[in-house]
Amino acid sequence: MKPAPFEYDAPTTLAEAVELTNSLEDAKVLAGGQSLLPILALRLSRFDHLIDLGRIGELIGIERANGTVTVRAMSTQADIGASAVVATGVPLLAKATPFIGHFQIRNRGTLGGSLAHADPSAEYPAVAVALDATLEVAGPSGSRRIPASDFFEATFMTAAAEGEILTAVHFPVWAGATGFAVEEVARRHGDFALVGVMAGVRLEAGKVAHAGVALFGVGGRPHRATAAEAALVGSAAPVSDLAEIGQLAVGDLDPPDDIHASGAYRRQIGAVLVERALHTAIQEAISHG
Amino acid sequence: VVEIDGRTWEPRVLRYIVSEDCGRMINPRVVEGQIAGGVVQGLGGVLLENFVYDGDGNPVTTTFMDYLLPTATEVPDLEIGHIVTEATSNPGGFKGMGEGGAIGSHAAVANAVADALAHLGVTVTTTPLGPSHIFELVEAARS
Repeated sequence: MKPAPFEYDAPTTLAEAVELTNSLEDAKVLAGGQSLLPILALRLSRFDHLIDLGRIGELIGIERANGTVTVRAMSTQADIGASAVVATGVPLLAKATPFIGHFQIRNRGTLGGSLAHADPSAEYPAVAVALDATLEVAGPSGSRRIPASDFFEATFMTAAAEGEILTAVHFPVWAGATGFAVEEVARRHGDFALVGVMAGVRLEAGKVAHAGVALFGVGGRPHRATAAEAALVGSAAPVSDLAEIGQLAVGDLDPPDDIHASGAYRRQIGAVLVERALHTAIQEAISHG
Repeated sequence: VVEIDGRTWEPRVLRYIVSEDCGRMINPRVVEGQIAGGVVQGLGGVLLENFVYDGDGNPVTTTFMDYLLPTATEVPDLEIGHIVTEATSNPGGFKGMGEGGAIGSHAAVANAVADALAHLGVTVTTTPLGPSHIFELVEAARS
């Protein structure tokens, strides 16, 4: 099918985009089209106006300053995957990128689009949560920052208010002996994960000093495995009881059933993937130590 | 040859060998294309494709985002062997072809999955056999 008719706007400044978003009736922001265009084409949804952010130069770019990597919202997944700044400053973001769709999709899809869409099976929201990223949104009354842990509220629901546009994501750079890993199970290469894990660890003096673990595909939003993180911190590396840590990570989870996998499968395999991801991340951190 | 991850239950086809005899081949590339298409139907039918209906009988796999077909990344390199025994019933020595790939592949792939799980006491009686289906079969065999 083809989308229902819509008016198309392509502003060139953020101010203009915010103004349009708040003045037009039934408008939706287009941030690449990875998800929105199929939704429109399948007529799962329809909007009178699409506001394309793709021509706004101030929303594109990746910079590192003062221990933070800032990725502007309209940076494409392909840009992120090819960025040396991301590869060295936010390795988990770089490692997660090849799991998103296929390269043709990554040429169109953007970081901001993926986060604002908030699909619970998507990779980038879980990266943002695992790394304690901060999301910056702009609205008619200015901009504000929202921690990733507060941003994702439920499936396709975020803390960004009506009329606000996600403009940038600030990732803290984890310095020192760090390691990161992505694990996911998908039916086919490039499909949304049935269940997946983002993990990062930082070692100090041979012990885990900091850990970030987030599961995706297990509920309405990325699940931060705080109990598993707490159990990890202080453990000597390599950590011997990663299987138990994996169980802790899924302890309070009750993932949904769908046509591709049962909730019981997601839960059990989530624990396995946490174990594997942490094993890889800790090995990497040891080799960097 | 199918390998199954013993913890995530993801099946992976490591090797697929198929041989056929269609008499004299007019164009070997067309023959191999037919075989590949048939084999891929079997791979998809066993590992991915599934018509799902809800409790009221409504189909829920109505798009190719839900009804999973194998793509290039799900298909191993196919090793194709040609046996050429020319037919005597026609002047060219030709035989029919095109179904050889499809007829064998469903059973071959399903049996390979069944064999990979046999040591766990699993009996495979249905398809599709995605990771969650295999997980359920293993759980049922264990309990």
